[in-house]
Amino acid sequence: MSAQEMEMVAPAATREAGRGAGTGILSVQGIGKRFGGLVALNDVSLEVERGSVTGVIGPNGSGKSTLFNIIAGTLRPDRGRVFLNGRDTTRASPAEICRGGVGRTFQISRLFGEMTVLENLVAIAHGASDPEAVERALELLDFLEVAHLRDKWGSELSYGQRKLVEIARALMLRPTVMLLDEPFAGINPRLQNRIVDHLEVLRRRGLTLFFIDHEMRIVLEICHTVHVLAQGEVIASGPADAVRTDPKVKEAYF
Amino acid sequence: MKATLVMGTACILAAVLPFVGSEYVLSFTVQLYVFVALAYSWNLIGGYAGYTHFGQVAFFGVGAYTGALMMDAGFHWLVAAAAAGLSGALLALPLGGAMLRVKGPFFAIGMFGMARVCESFALGFDNITQGGTGIYLLPVSDLKPLYFTLAAIALGLVLLTWRLDNSRLGLQLLAIREDETAADALGVRTTRLKIGAFVVSAIAPGAVGSLYATYLSFIDPMTAFAPMTELTTIAMVLLGGMGTVFGPLIGVLAMSVVNELLWSRFPEIYLAIVGVVILFVVLWMPRGIVSFLAHRQWSWVPVARGSLRRLASRPRIAARPKEAH
Ligand SMILES: Nc1ncnc2c1ncn2[C@@H]1O[C@H](COP(=O)(O)OP(=O)(O)O)[C@@H](O)[C@H]1O
Ligand SMILES: [Mg+2]
Repeated sequence: MSAQEMEMVAPAATREAGRGAGTGILSVQGIGKRFGGLVALNDVSLEVERGSVTGVIGPNGSGKSTLFNIIAGTLRPDRGRVFLNGRDTTRASPAEICRGGVGRTFQISRLFGEMTVLENLVAIAHGASDPEAVERALELLDFLEVAHLRDKWGSELSYGQRKLVEIARALMLRPTVMLLDEPFAGINPRLQNRIVDHLEVLRRRGLTLFFIDHEMRIVLEICHTVHVLAQGEVIASGPADAVRTDPKVKEAYF
Repeated sequence: MKATLVMGTACILAAVLPFVGSEYVLSFTVQLYVFVALAYSWNLIGGYAGYTHFGQVAFFGVGAYTGALMMDAGFHWLVAAAAAGLSGALLALPLGGAMLRVKGPFFAIGMFGMARVCESFALGFDNITQGGTGIYLLPVSDLKPLYFTLAAIALGLVLLTWRLDNSRLGLQLLAIREDETAADALGVRTTRLKIGAFVVSAIAPGAVGSLYATYLSFIDPMTAFAPMTELTTIAMVLLGGMGTVFGPLIGVLAMSVVNELLWSRFPEIYLAIVGVVILFVVLWMPRGIVSFLAHRQWSWVPVARGSLRRLASRPRIAARPKEAH
């Protein structure tokens, strides 16, 4: 890996951890969230270690996206706290959390449709001049092998292309943690493997990856730690192999 | 390049017009400038940030009254116009803070309500505003300075929009329009951006309201807060293309010419015909003439937001040494 590639995705600065509770780069403690009468999350706690690949799996409707939205500040929890690098970000705005080093993609593509791919990336860059932002956008599009889409409109892209461009866009801000909501859902295995390869490169450069999927194969293959959600509760946590054989998981999932 | 040439020619034409044009041409052009200023201002918040609303005429009207009252008190019309622009911004600041929290129809209709509230104030406080009678002003002796002031504001707004369109600020406003939640989650400071855009979008309407009062040497609530002004402005931006640099200009020119032709020939059904024209455009090219052309990528249409693409097309010395040669 060249020095330049290194610079491309490495966190802007390594921040000090450990002021708040929890040891990880991201710490979720006792989160509860209701939608009317429906309990979407009930007392969810988990840690994401710095530099790890951590996965959340669980059946549809188990609260995975809700958890991500709470971490990213898009939803407010009813109870519990979220710590990012030891700092309490439970009440912070999405923009603040993003600027604090959390990049994210969405389960359902949220590319800006009436903007080109290049514009999608450059629009959210901050703290860089226009030429720098364009340069970085082009590097990221190159990295994800979608440079040819540069001048296409967001609304023109296929489902899989959107996933890749969304990852590129989230990387624009040099996040320290990436939240990926079902990056592999609904795309062919070849593209899935390509995304896995890219994520692996990113992780080696120091990025922490935290993602949701119900595609068991990939999660168990690439994750160091897996948390299993069922009906809003964490029913198992641990190394992929341990989770795979956990009887509670088998019961909930298979 | 072609765009610069066209703009240059238009500027020269505009500069000689007051010396050679007839009374009729002059009044047509003044109307044109007023609508260019209103359309470009509305385009900032409605077109770029995506917060369409039906209340811009509130700023026009409040500006008209602020200016008229100041001129009545003896201030020069230029000072009055500056104060009127400021009054627009001062009104927009708290309004934006309160109303931009609600998206979609609530903001759009809420602003319409604000314009009606302002209108009833102008009617009700008749010891200050003369109520429905209106305020009569001393006519200015020479209309040329007024003409050039309006022309400068119109040109200034076109240039400002061109700058915005080629900047990241413009892209961030578009990102708010496209998906505010996503923009927010990606670190765009949506709240301050949209309030800022709203406040800026209220300055020119305020100033132009005052200049229009100067031009008429009269203002009353019906003229100041006319819903027709609002609807015509929005129709112009829709027709030309929301959130584009040249859309509002094309919309203003097209609608003004069509209006003028129809108005003289078929005064009784002209509104209906304009309505049908707009209906067709909205059905066939819902994003306006300019966006329609931009998506076709015809070579003679200037590419929207070209500066980023030019940057991207430059040979990249650092990353791709091969392509630099
Ligand atoms: N905004 C919302 N309003 C009401 N119910 C919601 C909302 N978002 C999610 N839910 C409900 O909360 C539960 C968890 O949803 P979600 O977090 O999207 O699950 P997952 O991502 O694991 O499929 C589901 O039953 C869903 O219907
Ligand atoms: Mg989900």
